[in-house]
Amino acid sequence: MIEVVCNDHLGKKVHIKCNTDDTIGDLKKLIAAQTGTLWNKIILKKWYTIFKDHVSLGDYEIHDGMNLELYYQ
Amino acid sequence: MGSSKKHRGEKEAAGTTAAASTGGATEQPPRHREHKKHKHRSGGGGSSGGERRKRSRERGGERGGGRRGAEAEARSGAHGRERSQAEPSERRVKREKRDDGYEAAASSKTSSGDASSLSIEETNKLRAKLGLKPLEVNAVKKEAGTKEEPVAADVINPMALRQREELREKLAAAKEKRLLNQKLGKIKTLGEDDPWLDDTAAWIERSRQLQKEKDLAEKRAKLLEEMDQEFGVSTLVEEEFGQRRQDLYSARDLQGLTVEHAIDSFREGETVILTLKDKGVLQEEEDVLVNVNLVDKERAEKNVELRKKKPDYLPYAEDESLDDLAQQKPRSILSKYDEELEGERPHSFRLEQGGTADGLRERELEEIRAKLRLQAQSLSTAGPRLASEYLTPEEMVTFKKTKRRVKKIRKKEKEVVVRADDLLPLGDQTQDGDFGSRLRGRGRRRVPEADEEAPEEEEKEQAPRPPQSDDTRVENMDISDEEEGGAPQAGSPEVLEEDEAELELQKQLEKGRRLRQLQQLQQLRDSGEKVVEIVKKLESRPRGWEEDEDPERKGAIVFNATSEFCRTLGEIPTYGLAGNREEQEELMDFERDEERSANGGSESDGEENIGWSTVNLDEEKQQQDFSASSTTILDEEPIVNRGLAAALLLCQNKGLLETTVQKVARVKAPNKSLPSAVYCIEDKMAIDDKYSRREEYRGFTQDFKEKDGYKPDVKIEYVDETGRKLTPKEAFRQLSHRFHGKGSGKMKTERRMKKLDEEALLKKMSSSDTPLGTVALLQEKQKAQKTPYIVLSGSGKSMNANTITK
Repeated sequence: MIEVVCNDHLGKKVHIKCNTDDTIGDLKKLIAAQTGTLWNKIILKKWYTIFKDHVSLGDYEIHDGMNLELYYQ
Repeated sequence: MGSSKKHRGEKEAAGTTAAASTGGATEQPPRHREHKKHKHRSGGGGSSGGERRKRSRERGGERGGGRRGAEAEARSGAHGRERSQAEPSERRVKREKRDDGYEAAASSKTSSGDASSLSIEETNKLRAKLGLKPLEVNAVKKEAGTKEEPVAADVINPMALRQREELREKLAAAKEKRLLNQKLGKIKTLGEDDPWLDDTAAWIERSRQLQKEKDLAEKRAKLLEEMDQEFGVSTLVEEEFGQRRQDLYSARDLQGLTVEHAIDSFREGETVILTLKDKGVLQEEEDVLVNVNLVDKERAEKNVELRKKKPDYLPYAEDESLDDLAQQKPRSILSKYDEELEGERPHSFRLEQGGTADGLRERELEEIRAKLRLQAQSLSTAGPRLASEYLTPEEMVTFKKTKRRVKKIRKKEKEVVVRADDLLPLGDQTQDGDFGSRLRGRGRRRVPEADEEAPEEEEKEQAPRPPQSDDTRVENMDISDEEEGGAPQAGSPEVLEEDEAELELQKQLEKGRRLRQLQQLQQLRDSGEKVVEIVKKLESRPRGWEEDEDPERKGAIVFNATSEFCRTLGEIPTYGLAGNREEQEELMDFERDEERSANGGSESDGEENIGWSTVNLDEEKQQQDFSASSTTILDEEPIVNRGLAAALLLCQNKGLLETTVQKVARVKAPNKSLPSAVYCIEDKMAIDDKYSRREEYRGFTQDFKEKDGYKPDVKIEYVDETGRKLTPKEAFRQLSHRFHGKGSGKMKTERRMKKLDEEALLKKMSSSDTPLGTVALLQEKQKAQKTPYIVLSGSGKSMNANTITK
């Protein structure tokens, strides 16, 4: 179980607890549950790397406590 | 910054006081240290920031409470950190401020708007709702120790690791080797020697052992058999074994079997093993023996043949398919497909008695075939050879000389050549043929030339008369032929036939002529007239008038071109007026009487229409001219003083006056006059328009006498669009522009415009003044100043020397 921080630099910052084998899509859903947006409107980025929905966090090597940039489409 | 820290401190304090038991341990504070720039938010300050934001936004207390709850969770797991220690105090302060409102809704609100973090339980609930598996809690703590209390990690010894790996490999290899050895250990190698091979004793031992085993085996078999017999199975077993023995056969059994190869493929002296060809289980055909190798060979050969790509169809191939009896094998259509459609028909032969095959019969058949082929006649003929130019010796023998037969040559019949000499004695001329001279005239009667001439002489004359007219000569010829009784001439029967018609014609003509002449003769038999005529003729001959008279008298038809022409002309009223017919007139005076008498005599004889009736033109002419000729020549000149009439007459006679109306020889109009004698060419254009007729003046026109000296002064002026008169050059330019349809270009027009403007300006300029109108201004100034002069200095105040300054 890891905890990932998602920040959109506009005031929304959430800590999400999730598993390493969860996919980004699941993470987005969790974010959406907490932030109140729609999960398919969320884009998670790290600099210019857009995280794809079907890849797991472990594959992206997203570890505990990592910051992800939250954007909306 | 300080304030933010304060805030944080307050929250921490609040968090600790209202600590929830849920261990939402976060590493946020240390992580947030990373975001130094966002200090106001970092350090658990994501939440603190949020709260501050909330405070600034002044949202509902519940939310703040909720956040506080989360914060509490966050902080609860906080370890000893500098910030965290500093913070709690700050937070505590803050928390105390807003404590009550928020605590109520601490744990309940998790999914609302700005929730920053959820507890594990909540997360699990959420995940369950979303359909995800719950969080794995075990791998929470990855780090063994914290920064403050670092725990020494296990030393990873690479050497040890490598050694372990090597050991594992070695063990695995050893194991494999062992297994292999176990397998291979059973097989005897070459190197190994059985002890009994070399040593007899050992061999004996071994053989004894083998024997023993055999015996044992036999015993066992017997036992088994007995057991089988007991069960009744032995008979079956025996049958099986027995059948196998029976299958062994001899050569006689081979009789009648077919071998599916050509007999030629078996060479003498070699052994070829034949096996039964495979056939289907249900096929009941007889067995066929084949040799596999031969089969393969045959197949290979066939493939080679196919690959050679020989032409399927040879349209002109003749000698291929000679079969038995030298007959042409009936060539079927598309024979190349027969194999495919009907199936292969390979060569085969049957084994005869004792399983042998001679191939004798085939050889015999071949011989027969060859014999027949030799006997066969080929239809092809010998090819064309060059013919030799010389006879061969054989042909020479047959070549014999032939005798020449004497032929009778028929003599040619000579043609009759008629010559003039032959004809001389033939002439029995009673016709006149004296064509002696033109003067004397053709066809002139031979009778009276002179008194001396006697008819007898005339007849004599006839004889030596050489030239005869062609016609008469021909006639003579023909007649003589006929009279002679037609001396048969081979070449002239055709001539006779052709001339028969002519002969008749000639005969008729002759008869007529003879009659006439006889009559003429009779006329002139009167002596007196005869003499007179002779005299006249004698006289008139030198004049050469006989031509005209004789034919008239004698009635022979004489055509004269001039006379014919004159006849057709018609009356010539002016005939003889010019006075060139005097001689004729004179003669006529003398001879008229005679003529009249002659003509009367001739008429009295009662000749009708023998000759042309004499036209009494001469008489008429003479009657006309009588008076004229007599007066003009013989009369004296009229006296001029007699009167005007006499004078005029004299002049007329002398030919001085031109008043005589000249009579022009008028051609008599033909009988048929022109159909439209009176016609005029109408100009219809002139009739139609009445306006033109109205305008035309048909009266008398005359030049104006008072305008005699008038010479018009022509002055053509050309004007441009503004009304200016144009110079010739400009006028021409205008014309050419008009003509060509295009004017000048841009530059040209500009120049022209400029020039026009300058001209206009020039016009506007006053001649007496400068362009700026200086004089007028001066005058105005004078008027204003009331002085006859104008001071030209600048200010106009004074012109003293004093005013001159530097």
